[in-house]
Amino acid sequence: MTMIDTTSYTLISEAIKTEAKRILTDGTVTAVVGYAAARRKGSVQPIVITTPEDADKLLFSKGAVNNLAVYLTKAKKEIPKTGRIGIVVKGCDLKALVGLMGESQLKRENLYLIGIPCSGVLGSIIQPDTELTEDTIAPKCLECDVHMPTGCDFIPQGAPITPELEKKYAAEIARLEALTPAERWSYWKEQFSKCIKCYACRQVCPFCFCEQCLCDRNKPQMVESTPRPAGNFAWHVIRAMHLAGRCAGCAECERVCPMDIPLNLLNRKMAKELKELYDHEAGLEINEKGPLSMFNEKDDQSFIK
Amino acid sequence: MQKFITEQNFNTLIDRLIGAGKRVVAPKLNAGTVLYEPLSGSGEMVLDQLPRRSGKEAFFPLCEDIVSYEKEGQKVKLTDIDPALFPETLLVAVRPCDTAAIPVLDAVFSWDYKDQFFLERRNKTTIIGLACTSSDDACFCTAVGISPDDRRGSDLFMTQLEGGGYLCETHSEKGEALLTAHAELFTEPNSQKAKPLAKPEVEKVDLQKVKAWLDNNFEDPAWDSIATRCVGCGACAFVCPACHCFDIVDEGTEKSGKRRKNWDACGFWKFTHHASGHNPRDGQPKRYRNRIMHKFKYYDDKFGQTLCTGCGRCIRLCPVGIDIAEIVGDISRKN
Ligand code: SF4
Ligand code: SF4
Ligand code: SF4
Ligand code: SF4
Repeated sequence: MTMIDTTSYTLISEAIKTEAKRILTDGTVTAVVGYAAARRKGSVQPIVITTPEDADKLLFSKGAVNNLAVYLTKAKKEIPKTGRIGIVVKGCDLKALVGLMGESQLKRENLYLIGIPCSGVLGSIIQPDTELTEDTIAPKCLECDVHMPTGCDFIPQGAPITPELEKKYAAEIARLEALTPAERWSYWKEQFSKCIKCYACRQVCPFCFCEQCLCDRNKPQMVESTPRPAGNFAWHVIRAMHLAGRCAGCAECERVCPMDIPLNLLNRKMAKELKELYDHEAGLEINEKGPLSMFNEKDDQSFIK
Repeated sequence: MQKFITEQNFNTLIDRLIGAGKRVVAPKLNAGTVLYEPLSGSGEMVLDQLPRRSGKEAFFPLCEDIVSYEKEGQKVKLTDIDPALFPETLLVAVRPCDTAAIPVLDAVFSWDYKDQFFLERRNKTTIIGLACTSSDDACFCTAVGISPDDRRGSDLFMTQLEGGGYLCETHSEKGEALLTAHAELFTEPNSQKAKPLAKPEVEKVDLQKVKAWLDNNFEDPAWDSIATRCVGCGACAFVCPACHCFDIVDEGTEKSGKRRKNWDACGFWKFTHHASGHNPRDGQPKRYRNRIMHKFKYYDDKFGQTLCTGCGRCIRLCPVGIDIAEIVGDISRKN
């Protein structure tokens, strides 16, 4: 079993503390959103700090799983959005921020980006005191093309160490694509049947920033809120469609699902389709015209029969 | 009454009951996740893992129909769901942190309003508790006054023995009836030692001190630092053995449909959203405060108990690592 080397995270943590202290002291930012240690060994919580003294709480580790971009969206009203805000980002989280900028939700000049040279994080923190190995690393990290983020204001020194390992999502998507529609349907039917409509997947998603989700409407009700086949199917299809061309692949939705539903397969399949159809990919360039929010005469029209 | 049963005889008991048409619910692997689910055979039981969701759903399901309606012309026909049709159930291998929550739920569902859906299922269920022999660092039952071999809520309690098999101890008439009806599968208890119990590594929390602080600190800056990170999902409430809020929804068409009772969670923004558009809990810290207040103050005010059995599920599954054991421990150390 291949172990993933994360020794660089110690020095990275030190650099984050120093930089956060500096930008809070000289007034570059009003707050820094980052990670801090929690009670259980290896566990990490998101934290918002506003004073230089608190900068010592910040760290980066294999348990720094959260995509903190979610805290900068309008859905999280509790976080003060005044002035410039510092945020610790892995490459995958940065893609989400870039997507939010493209959707006019954030302005680059209001952010101070602390990018992480990232070798990977855990796929699950149910048991946070877990070694980072090829088995426990988040599957997204095996397919990551932004271990070294670019375009940030500060990047601690350190080179990500990323051994070549099997790409689990690609293999699983290929397996599902090879099934007949009936077999595929029975796979998803079983998975969706576990959904308890806790909406953890929605609440952690940086792109689920609608102030009132369609699925929460009750005057009139748009989608059955009951966790039964009809409502569950509607919920998952709506979510997959609404995130197509937007999802940044952070896989937070899948990580947080208490029922272990492999949600990101849906989003990744949609991303694959958008790549094939419109050559669109979530990346680090701000793109104001998402593939599904604009019309181009050159688009493939062959599906209109 | 105390008896001994071998693992093999225990499996025979389960299979025999299933064969006789009884609904037997136990921890079982379901599309990769261990949940309390009806068994089709004893071989499906998973005894070494705490199920992802709690045992409460045996009486308080995730969703249930309570009435159905049909409209013909101007007439509306209502059909009640008849609780008499709920099946007799055996709930097996339930951890003490789940069984201890059952009397806590009983108090709520039989207080001013008798919830016939809950109570009928409860009456028809026999509960076999199982002592815990392993724990992780999210478990904190002992901190809130529950133990890994707590008998509360069990009709029959089983303890694994060193040399295999279980010591069975009855705690109610239901438990005795089960044991008596299958007496030939049990023998007299022997001198075998029990497997060592789980030992959660946590300090006991002074729940009176926690309550005293909560009584006086509804408005405190601590709520912001604790819960600004809360993302407002229902994960913690839905996996909790003691949370019991529900929402009533009507679903269907104008011609026919159902009125349903679904789990709800105080972490949701929608939970306190008034029809006027006003929301008295207008931020996540206020919603999370309710979670702590309800568990360690309001419930205690009303029923003299705590609404948390320390199962640790919400700690393991909170998307943002919010740790109720840490929060309550911190509160107990405040003056
Ligand atoms: S859909 Fe999932 S993977 Fe995509 S951005 Fe949202 S949380 Fe991340
Ligand atoms: S997190 Fe999982 S269980 Fe919760 S709503 Fe999303 S898919 Fe369903
Ligand atoms: S405490 Fe955690 S699990 Fe509970 S609502 Fe907040 S984010 Fe969700
Ligand atoms: S509050 Fe958390 S630890 Fe306490 S009983 Fe509920 S899920 Fe378990």
